[in-house]
Amino acid sequence: MKDPQPFDHRPDPELGAALRAALDPQGDQSAFVARVLAQYGTALDRASIPTLDVLASWFRPGIAAAAAALVLGFVFGRAVLEPTSATESIDAAMAPVEGPGLAALVMAQDPPDASVVFTSLVEPQ
Amino acid sequence: MGSSVEDAGLVARTLAGDRAAFGVLVERYAGQARRVARAVLGDPDDADDAAQDGFLSALVKLGQYDPRRPFGPWLMRIVANAATDRRRRRNVRRVEPLEPSLVGGGPRPDAAAIRSELGDRLRAALAELPERRRKAVVLFDVEGYSHAEIAGILGIPEGTVRSEVFHARRRLRTLLADWKEP
Repeated sequence: MKDPQPFDHRPDPELGAALRAALDPQGDQSAFVARVLAQYGTALDRASIPTLDVLASWFRPGIAAAAAALVLGFVFGRAVLEPTSATESIDAAMAPVEGPGLAALVMAQDPPDASVVFTSLVEPQ
Repeated sequence: MGSSVEDAGLVARTLAGDRAAFGVLVERYAGQARRVARAVLGDPDDADDAAQDGFLSALVKLGQYDPRRPFGPWLMRIVANAATDRRRRRNVRRVEPLEPSLVGGGPRPDAAAIRSELGDRLRAALAELPERRRKAVVLFDVEGYSHAEIAGILGIPEGTVRSEVFHARRRLRTLLADWKEP
């Protein structure tokens, strides 16, 4: 066997022969060829289905699923995110509270007294 | 291995729907494809499955082959990738461990047994190498491809191929040298 030279550009026949013997298939080669050829038609048939056809077969279910998702999203969003009415908001803001609360602050003619403001903030509802 | 001209003719006939021409190509490259696949997978049955996958994949992609270039490296790239894909899918199954008698240098009843034993040890040594190194040394020393062709097959720089072949050889040559020692 040759001395191992770094990056030797020639194949090593001895190592090559030993590896070939180790890797050579034990089965009959003609049986292997026949086995591959038996799949010849199937492989070509499978490959002859164009990608566009595959995508087209997904088109209708895809459109239906997208439409259903859109409708569901709209219904859900409307139910969850619909804003409360303006009337309710004002009523809530103006709801009477005990003591000089928010209503007193808003309805007052004069500028609010600082103590009223602080009281309305710290007073329990 | 057939000449590039012959291969290109067979490819053209296969593309025209000649099943027999494809059969000749398979016959011509079957040994090579099965060895390369076995270098990757270890198990001979898995290797044959991968080689078959490679040939059928090549058949489907034959329109992409450039007939001005050699057919062998183009095919081997597909076969090597098919073997790698199968190894990834297999993943949990490993090369069968060697019997202790083989590792320790057991009895040598006859020449056939000795060859078989050497084969076992070489396969075990190959299995220890990184996959790319395995492919590189088999393609170079067994199948006779050039560094440039192997670079194309493996999709790596030529310098990396040289390095991979060197490291693989160093390991395998040590094994062979030990084997020859009494």
